[in-house]
Amino acid sequence: MGHFSLSVVGRDRPGIVAEVTRVLFEIGCNIEDSTCTILSGQFAMILVVAHQKFTSVAEIDPSFEPVRKNMGLTVSLHMLKDEEVSREKGFTGRPHILSVYGADRPGIVYSVARELARYKVNITDLNTQVVGAKDRPVYVMVLEVDIPETVDMKELEREFDKIRKELSVSISVRPIEALEL
Amino acid sequence: MAVLPIRLFPDPVLKEKASPVEGVTAEVSALVGDLVDTMRCSPGGVGISAPQVGELRRIVVVDVSAHRRGGQEQNHGLLVLVNPEILAMGGKQVVREGCMSIPDYTANVQRAQWVLVDALDGNGNRRIIESLGFEAVAIQHEMDHLEGILFLDRVVSVKTDLFRRKQYR
Repeated sequence: MGHFSLSVVGRDRPGIVAEVTRVLFEIGCNIEDSTCTILSGQFAMILVVAHQKFTSVAEIDPSFEPVRKNMGLTVSLHMLKDEEVSREKGFTGRPHILSVYGADRPGIVYSVARELARYKVNITDLNTQVVGAKDRPVYVMVLEVDIPETVDMKELEREFDKIRKELSVSISVRPIEALEL
Repeated sequence: MAVLPIRLFPDPVLKEKASPVEGVTAEVSALVGDLVDTMRCSPGGVGISAPQVGELRRIVVVDVSAHRRGGQEQNHGLLVLVNPEILAMGGKQVVREGCMSIPDYTANVQRAQWVLVDALDGNGNRRIIESLGFEAVAIQHEMDHLEGILFLDRVVSVKTDLFRRKQYR
């Protein structure tokens, strides 16, 4: 069994998912995991696919030529090592949501990500958008993160405080409270 | 008293409608006891319904008192609801739910903020219960199981809202 990552980007319109998944279906690829969204009018797909026999990109890639030509999509495939593919999420810390927002300026994502990385906080989901009026753009970033048990939340808060002052952004942190039913 | 195995989707029993309980007999009480044990044995478990252990009977058990947020809100502690009916409901809340019958998945679901429930308790006495917040979510989720409805049928948003679960405690 071979695992591949597949990414597809192209101007958004109906039919992209149908075309890409038709190819996958016809060559016998299973979609193991995927997320697709619209980013600034571009439809972006990222998938992990598996094939019983194929073990190289060369065996799959040519099947996407028609999609590239006819729909103008950028399609890229990469081989994944079996041992790197896991259904286990392996998150062992405390799940939190972070909201970061303020007047648009360079460095917001980097400043937050840099501190999170320093504390070994794993970003498990990240979404950024520029919103607001044309002449007063507001940057909004929402992250889901996994904070290790060993991280002192007060210390992390102090780091966020520095970013708040430095970049004039609001940052709020709250635990994700799920109900197990 | 025993911890029963949880039926996991796609077990067809989870999509079936449960039948009313005729009366709170010793046998029903034993099942209620098993449901409580099974719920408490599951990490973070705050509710369970009889169909989740393969019993198509209208029984749910809820206890949010040990939950980090649920315990801080107004709650009834251990609630046994036999043949529950929702008399009234109102308001809206979006809460991230997980289900023992669909492991490793959580999603945001919209529920009523409060519910008024008519049910028999574990002794067969009729009770009218008003519930708010997290406890009300738990009641609605478990009562859905009695209709063969899963929380996946009620997901409100996928963008950034689906989170692959780890253990929530």
